[in-house]
Amino acid sequence: MEDHEILAKFCEPASRNLAFNQLVRKYQQKVYWHVRKMVVDHADADDLTQDVFVKVWKNLENFRQDAQLFTWIYRIATNECLSFLQSKRRKFFLPLNDVGAELLAKMEADPAIAGDEIELKLQRAILRLPDKQRLVFNLRYYDEMPYEQMAEVTGTSVGALKASYHHAARKIEEYVTKADNPAASPDAAD
Amino acid sequence: MKTPFRLAEHPRRALPPLSRPPAGYFEQMPTRLMAQVAAPAQRPGPLAWLLPAPASLRTGLASTLLLGTFAASLWLGGAPLSRPAAPVTSLDAVPQAQLVDYLTNGETHLDMQDLAELPTRHLGLTRQYLRASSDELTEALDAQAAEEAALL
Repeated sequence: MEDHEILAKFCEPASRNLAFNQLVRKYQQKVYWHVRKMVVDHADADDLTQDVFVKVWKNLENFRQDAQLFTWIYRIATNECLSFLQSKRRKFFLPLNDVGAELLAKMEADPAIAGDEIELKLQRAILRLPDKQRLVFNLRYYDEMPYEQMAEVTGTSVGALKASYHHAARKIEEYVTKADNPAASPDAAD
Repeated sequence: MKTPFRLAEHPRRALPPLSRPPAGYFEQMPTRLMAQVAAPAQRPGPLAWLLPAPASLRTGLASTLLLGTFAASLWLGGAPLSRPAAPVTSLDAVPQAQLVDYLTNGETHLDMQDLAELPTRHLGLTRQYLRASSDELTEALDAQAAEEAALL
């Protein structure tokens, strides 16, 4: 079902539930993985994904169709993730690196983690990035989202996003290179 | 020395190497979400009737509520929770014999005659402790008039 059909059906009380069900089926995996990449833990990602769709349900009637529906949902998901990480940091008085370390610990404690050594190093490097830089990196690298769409999701200019992605990629390359070389400490990559 | 790592040369994956969600997770999510969003819709809150009301009415009600709260807090904060009993009421609770004993034997320098001159509002003490018949009172009054005349 196309987005405009979902929106039209949602506006009619008789078909609202059906439309929302279709919307969830269409976007749940993308939203879940977008959130999961940011918070790592499945339980957290599950809670946040549900929160995202509950917000979509509450606000879909007021959604202005000057943006794509998916961009709008991604934006809600992004805000939920950043608020979650921020509240975690505020709640436990954690500095930036400690949240990254916690996410990394969760990832490494996951028994079903899949990937070769270089992939794990790449993940370690990504999790060391600041939240917003990590978000930009994920959108560009994994989702291959165009910069224009990323600008709508993040509310940031295309130029700033390109610069952010470039810095993130450089930091990651430095970290993985140093992690490959036992003589140099990967911590120096910061 | 190893060659530097280049992201562009690394095979790109669609997902990071995180574990997959439990089996059936995505099949169940629409049902779970529908249950979550439908439940509050079926049970409107106590203030749900306010939602369709115009904004001016809602603002007016909110202002009235705020003023009412302020007035109530002022009233409750200013008025004592229990008024102290009036002195006469408190003294009524003291046995009269004890009261007379205190007044005549303490440092108040009162005697039975002073107690006889209590205000007419509380005649109980006067009647009990004056112990005089009406004839005696008449005689006393006649004698007082003579004394007062002598003073003139």
